[in-house]
Amino acid sequence: MIRLQGVSKRYKGASTHAVRSLDLEVKPGEIFGFLGPNGAGKTTTIKMIVGLLKPDQGRVLVNGHDVNAEAVAAKHSMGFVPDKPDLYPRLTGMEYLNLIGDVYGIDGATRRRRLQHYLEMFQLTEAAGDLIQSYSRGMQQKLALTGALLHAPALFILDEPMVGLDPKSSHLFKEIMRDHVAKGNTVFFSTHVLEVAEQLCHRVGIINQGELIACGTMDELRKSPGRAGSSLEKLFLELTDEGGSDEK
Amino acid sequence: MRNRVWSLFLALLNVNYGWSAAKYYYLKKRQRVWEPIVIAASIGPVLVMMLWFSWVMTEQLFMAGLSFGQPHLPLVIGTLMVAVVGLFFGFFYVLSSFYFSNDLPTLVPLPLRSWEILVAKLGVILTGQYVLGAFVLVPMIIRYGLLARGGIPYVVIALTVFLVLPVIPLVIASILAVLLMRFVNLSRFKDRLTLIGGILLLVIVFGSTYWMQENVGTDDPSVLIERVLSQADGLIYSIGRVFPPSVWSAQALGYATNATGWLNLFYLLLASVVGLVVLYLLGEKVFLQGALAGFEGSRGRRKHKQVEVQGESNSAFLTLVHTERKLFVRDPNFALNGLVGYVLFPVMLLIPLFGASLEGNPFERLDLGGLHPFLVVGGIALFFTLMIAMSMIPSTTFSREGRYLWIIRGLPLSIEQIMATRVVAAQMVNTIGCLLGLIPVSYLFGWRIWEVVLGTVFGIILSSTVAYLLVLLDLSRPMLDWVNPVKAVKSNLNAIFGLLGTSILGLLLGFIFYLNVQSQTLWLIPFELLLISLLLGSGGWYLGRQVAWKLWSKI
Ligand SMILES: Nc1ncnc2c1ncn2[C@@H]1O[C@H](COP(=O)(O)OP(=O)(O)OP(=O)(O)O)[C@@H](O)[C@H]1O
Ligand SMILES: [Mg+2]
Repeated sequence: MIRLQGVSKRYKGASTHAVRSLDLEVKPGEIFGFLGPNGAGKTTTIKMIVGLLKPDQGRVLVNGHDVNAEAVAAKHSMGFVPDKPDLYPRLTGMEYLNLIGDVYGIDGATRRRRLQHYLEMFQLTEAAGDLIQSYSRGMQQKLALTGALLHAPALFILDEPMVGLDPKSSHLFKEIMRDHVAKGNTVFFSTHVLEVAEQLCHRVGIINQGELIACGTMDELRKSPGRAGSSLEKLFLELTDEGGSDEK
Repeated sequence: MRNRVWSLFLALLNVNYGWSAAKYYYLKKRQRVWEPIVIAASIGPVLVMMLWFSWVMTEQLFMAGLSFGQPHLPLVIGTLMVAVVGLFFGFFYVLSSFYFSNDLPTLVPLPLRSWEILVAKLGVILTGQYVLGAFVLVPMIIRYGLLARGGIPYVVIALTVFLVLPVIPLVIASILAVLLMRFVNLSRFKDRLTLIGGILLLVIVFGSTYWMQENVGTDDPSVLIERVLSQADGLIYSIGRVFPPSVWSAQALGYATNATGWLNLFYLLLASVVGLVVLYLLGEKVFLQGALAGFEGSRGRRKHKQVEVQGESNSAFLTLVHTERKLFVRDPNFALNGLVGYVLFPVMLLIPLFGASLEGNPFERLDLGGLHPFLVVGGIALFFTLMIAMSMIPSTTFSREGRYLWIIRGLPLSIEQIMATRVVAAQMVNTIGCLLGLIPVSYLFGWRIWEVVLGTVFGIILSSTVAYLLVLLDLSRPMLDWVNPVKAVKSNLNAIFGLLGTSILGLLLGFIFYLNVQSQTLWLIPFELLLISLLLGSGGWYLGRQVAWKLWSKI
């Protein structure tokens, strides 16, 4: 579903790469967790997948389409929620969702059905007629989620989706992710909450200083010598620490 | 289900003009319902004036042109005006809607092509230009049609011209902006952008007078106009060299009944189509990369204010002054709204130059070049004062802080000191802005240096006292609960009240000057200016002492 081939990115004026020759494959039907310390390059990678940044080297394929060469086709199969959704504050929630619906070309009946489903689930039905600028942070997050799910994307991609959600919403949200992959779709998300990753993800990737230092199922990660039975937290701390000391 | 580009266009239009926001506040929540009424009441008369002015000017220029065998003079001037204003504003609006807007990260991951985003965004700008242009073009086209007895072909051509005319300047502006975005990392230049704009204006004004001297042999407007007009189609060709589409439009309208008209319409359409194709190609190739490149390097959007309070209070004072000035000029949302006046006013003063020697032209009697020196001084002082209100810097100074107000509240400074920093900062921007327009205008009208210097001094004194009052006004009812910074200036009633109050002061001053002219006591003007400054200054100071700290502690 996602394939990164030797992807590198260095921001203008930066001395080091934010992401360095990253190879990664995420298969259909998978929930993939993307982990790493602050500044590791998670957001940068996600931005390259959704087409917000152009890689300096390498290719990004989504659903078989090159994100840069066949942008529109690739984007049709994605739904994206950024880490800090910045939605038009002067539209109402409903107006925003209808804009998204029109852009993806979702017919009226399907649109109404899905909107009703998600808005009720997130308890946004009441607020949908209000201006987005009057929403709380979590409400904005849920609105962005609804917008991204509206076209039932083959690939659902999220940057730190748990931040700002109340316990009930984040529970619902985990349910949504499981449902979504059960239908053969794919979920890719970055997070700092390791418990969530451990519970939810079929596979995880750990990135540190722009390089993928581990990738696989929980069992595969534990297989390496001396790590049998470790928690993901312990693994994460050891791995990212090694990466740091390698550099020095 | 609507077409996606159309849907995006409507949403952007809605966001830009705040329809949903207006509905939400005024109809649903029934808050501040009197706001739109006040706004309509203050803007309405201006719009009616514009319509009337365009109507009358068309008539006057038609008659004047007729005597030189060029009845379509008003069309040339009208279309040129719309085109020039469109080019100028187009450039800034394109920059602000592509480069400074924060919605691209939302739009780019959606399955939209670059040109679709480009078209929707340009459509919003174009809509605004149609509305503005209509106030000049509609009365002009109707009046001219009546005078020249244009038939059905005239109506068809007029409609086409109206729709096509604003496209070309906008396309040029967008091409410039797209190229600029691609090849220059603008974020480093945000400070200097306004300065560059000002310098550009200077260059254009000086350049065009030089060009006129070279090409026509004089820069005296009255001689110039006569000479240009006495040559058949002379003026049209000299303007045509600068901006051909306005000539095509004028010729199309002027010769609507014969082939020349249709040929010119064809040129106009052809040029628009070519422009649009170039823009489409550029949009596909470089637009998104350029816009997205802008997000690299600049990590945050609105920077948090950081004021260094070190050492003696003096340096804290200056730091605050500069912070205020920089934050205003740097934020395109503020700068674009506040600084246009500095550019617009001199341009508006220069436009009547075209009609300076025409019979019955209201500007003829004004004779700006031969004014009494003290009238010049008074006029300049008035200009400074009106401009400082129009810049909205003093009247929105606390509102613009929004949720960052706590930063200055935490500083160990009295409110009087803070207000003083606001006045000084506003005055710095105002003086520079006013001089940028004033210098070329004085040069053109041949005002003497001492007149300009004296006028500037009085202008600074008078406008500073007004600015103090405006700062006090904003302190009494700051609007702090905005999310979109544009709201803090554009829909801030303090700015409108401040402008209204200052306009009343301006009218009063104008009336006094008028009395001076009537009674031949022009020498009194400097004393009157001093007296009024003294009255306003001491009144404001007294008021400030009485209420400022109370208001400050109440916020
Ligand atoms: N717009 C930008 N311009 C320049 N450098 C950037 C920009 N955004 C990120 N970087 C740099 O790129 C590197 C990777 O950042 P990125 O945002 O991808 O990290 P992250 O893994 O998402 O971190 P976090 O967990 O804090 O969200 C960092 O060193 C950061 O400083
Ligand atoms: Mg991140």
